[in-house]
Amino acid sequence: MTSRLSRMWPILARVRLSSVLGSRCVSQTPKSNASGAATASDLQPVSPAAQDIHGHAEVSPFEKNPDFHGFHHQDSFVDEWNMRLAFFFGISVAIVIGGTFIHYLPDHGMRQWARREAERLIKQREAYGLPLMTENYYDPSKIILPSSGEE
Amino acid sequence: MLKVLIPTIMLFPTIWLSSPKWLWTATTAHSLLIALVSLAWLKWTSETGWAASNMYLATDPLSTPLLVLTCWLLPLMILASQNHITPEPISRQRLNITLLASLQTFLIMAFGATEMIMFYIMFEATLIPTLIIITRWGNQTERLNAGTYFLFYTLAGSLPLLVALLLLQQSTGTLSMLILQYSQPLTLQSWGHKIWWAGCLIAFLVKMPLYGVHLWLPKAHVEAPVAGSMVLAAVLLKLGGYGMMRMMVMLDPLSKELAYPFIILALWGIIMTGSICLRQTDLKSLIAYSSVSHMGLVAGGILVQTPWGFTGAIILMIAHGLVSSALFCLANTAYERTHSRTMILARGLQMIFPLTAVWWFVANLANLALPPLPNLMGELMIITTMFNWSPWTITLTGTGTLITAGYSLYLFLMSQRGPAPSHIMGLSPFHTREHLLMVMHLVPVLLLITKPELMWGWCH
Repeated sequence: MTSRLSRMWPILARVRLSSVLGSRCVSQTPKSNASGAATASDLQPVSPAAQDIHGHAEVSPFEKNPDFHGFHHQDSFVDEWNMRLAFFFGISVAIVIGGTFIHYLPDHGMRQWARREAERLIKQREAYGLPLMTENYYDPSKIILPSSGEE
Repeated sequence: MLKVLIPTIMLFPTIWLSSPKWLWTATTAHSLLIALVSLAWLKWTSETGWAASNMYLATDPLSTPLLVLTCWLLPLMILASQNHITPEPISRQRLNITLLASLQTFLIMAFGATEMIMFYIMFEATLIPTLIIITRWGNQTERLNAGTYFLFYTLAGSLPLLVALLLLQQSTGTLSMLILQYSQPLTLQSWGHKIWWAGCLIAFLVKMPLYGVHLWLPKAHVEAPVAGSMVLAAVLLKLGGYGMMRMMVMLDPLSKELAYPFIILALWGIIMTGSICLRQTDLKSLIAYSSVSHMGLVAGGILVQTPWGFTGAIILMIAHGLVSSALFCLANTAYERTHSRTMILARGLQMIFPLTAVWWFVANLANLALPPLPNLMGELMIITTMFNWSPWTITLTGTGTLITAGYSLYLFLMSQRGPAPSHIMGLSPFHTREHLLMVMHLVPVLLLITKPELMWGWCH
């Protein structure tokens, strides 16, 4: 692939977008740009353009079935029901019911409770004029320290 | 655990016994029901972490988001591959879905494993269906080379892991994560111990991938069919991150110094692979290198071993999984219409496919970590914790964020904006299936904004 590219690169490097399109990219008037597209496609060989992946000769599935949903090319009944079930199980069941289940999960680790409790305590202590928090976590009179002379 | 595992195994009868007409409908519905049931794992019943149904399979807040992501991805893979697989003979269609379902089974057992050897076996087992999918249904001849790189890079990394695990079993007597988390920190000083440390992690670093050993990823992602690219980007890379997070618990005293070169490689990889993205002409290759870039950030976050690092890593893994898979689906829609991955061939698409342009827009915004999406939450937590580890990392991570925004914008402008060339005008319209696929990728990302605590792991 790289050897192909290195052979083509001198040619490609000289291609300018404006020369490819035949005009600067300002005008929107459609011109016959079929030749322009051919140069860009040298980078990667496009599969035979005459047939699409289904072996049909470029017939859009929307010709036979205007309500084609993308699920089943031949049978429009199966196509429609596949679409309905995919939407039902995908969105109505999995996303909506699943999402509701997740929304109502209990408060794991009591995190939301802790936030609400902290806000409640702050409000209460400010109302009574108490300090929000004491400086010492433990009562200093209860701490027994070894005397400084010993090891 | 069994309420998900048994329905997943029952997917095999569904696949092989359904009538050919209803095969895809039945498997889509079945896998979506499995995805619904998997959401029950998000109800963490114990405060302390593991919710074990038996000694061998358990979930905890680290594995649960990844398990739910795995279960959600199977119906999306089935939806995505329906169009290009249906022309094939019926037994090959069944084989394709069987491979996807077996991948799902192995992944559920890998993420739910409590025993490290079971995790190892499932880790290796996921290689086989993926290899078959890449080499059988890939579209170019390079797929054989891609499969070889994929298989042998991962195997070369994981054989040392097997030896390291057996050594660990020898010295501690158990490999159960439930027990090892309480074991005493190992005294590790000699060179042998350092090699053991590296052996434990290299498999996961190759899988993530870390920048120096990332070469398999662009090949595998590009050559795989859409379902293969989706599962590779969304879940298989996260196996590496998950494995690293589990192993880190046991590797502690050495990791302070030994993690240094890997963190540097990961950070440098963000910049390098981001810069490569800016020069890509191949659409899937750009998305693949973008995956390497994001996973480099995840690897850095895990290797610094802080609570914020782990949390950021999990969030970014989940968000990246959904968004990267969405981008591969969009790339596949362009590929199915133009039969080429060259970006300049499929440009100016906004004119023709305006609703799809919305999906391209949202997916690219998520990729560049727009607030308030979880991608940003994860990236910010990792960047913050790395700044705490060393202030100099901000230069690398900041530049990386800038380059990420650059190539995401480049991807969007290249594919959507500008005048549509004339050969684009004749492309067939977007299917309902493709729109549903994109909605099912992007809506969970948006919903996760509202409840990020599902992804915070056990560190909070």
